[in-house]
Amino acid sequence: MRVPPTLSTVLGNLFKKPATNPFPKSDPVPVPEGFRGKLVYDVEKCVGCRLCITVCPAGVIEYVPEVRKVTFWLGRCTFCAQCVDVCPVNALSMSDEFLLATADKYDDNLRWFHGEEIEEFKRKLEEKKKARESFKKEARKAVESEG
Amino acid sequence: MNVDEFAKVFGERFPDAEVRISENKQPHPRRRVWVTVGRDRFHEAMAFIKELDPTAQFSIIIARDAGETLEAKYHLELFWEDGESVSLIIGTSAPKENPTLPTVTDVFPSALAYEREVQEFLGIRYEGIPDPRRLFLPDDWPEGVYPLRLDDTGIKPEMVKNAGHPYSLKKEGER
Repeated sequence: MRVPPTLSTVLGNLFKKPATNPFPKSDPVPVPEGFRGKLVYDVEKCVGCRLCITVCPAGVIEYVPEVRKVTFWLGRCTFCAQCVDVCPVNALSMSDEFLLATADKYDDNLRWFHGEEIEEFKRKLEEKKKARESFKKEARKAVESEG
Repeated sequence: MNVDEFAKVFGERFPDAEVRISENKQPHPRRRVWVTVGRDRFHEAMAFIKELDPTAQFSIIIARDAGETLEAKYHLELFWEDGESVSLIIGTSAPKENPTLPTVTDVFPSALAYEREVQEFLGIRYEGIPDPRRLFLPDDWPEGVYPLRLDDTGIKPEMVKNAGHPYSLKKEGER
């Protein structure tokens, strides 16, 4: 029988440690610097300029006109980070998080600024507006009573 | 034969053809010949190019809907054996009422796949094409719909599907 040419390599490898990472038991392979993981959105910084919507190639972002913010659904995100590069106020950034598997494509983990958060934001805006108006009224009254 | 020589030889043989030499700058300076020939003399022009350089490399056909006409540009690489090659873009066009062009598969057999593609996507008919079957579109694709046309024979709006963003889906009362 012919000796296979790979025999010496195979025999040598039999006595080496396995070069694998048994993932759930160990930590995943560390991510490099500048890794493009899950997108992180900072609602407070956002000014609603809609630049991210124009550059997004995957339709992840929708504009919420009532509050002048954007809403994200990362189920479609391709992690190209173009929105991060174009954002003028640095409201977007890429995190190191990459374990994003879910059973539901509309999972909360894959959404930024949606549902209740938008409603809450709307309420806050309303309150602010009312407060500003009442402040103005009081100021006007004060001016009238003085004059 | 370099770019200028080719332009001269071609211009003498086809005086009614429009010959232009473009030059792109850095980072990759390259001169290209752009030729526009009427469709009645197009096959003759391609045969002449094959005669000039029997080893001519036929690259691709790029066709587009140019409003009143359908344009097809044929990209070829000539004289590539003598060092710097001549990059030739030879074009022709057909009016939309009678969108037929002569086939060049008898001169460049590799043009067949591109002609079939142009035929199904833009509705240009190639006269004498040996294999007029569809290449990319599915078998149940409707007749008379050409995806790359910009006019009424293009894709209908109801054929475009979008899975939708959950934010806008919610607005419509779903989910």
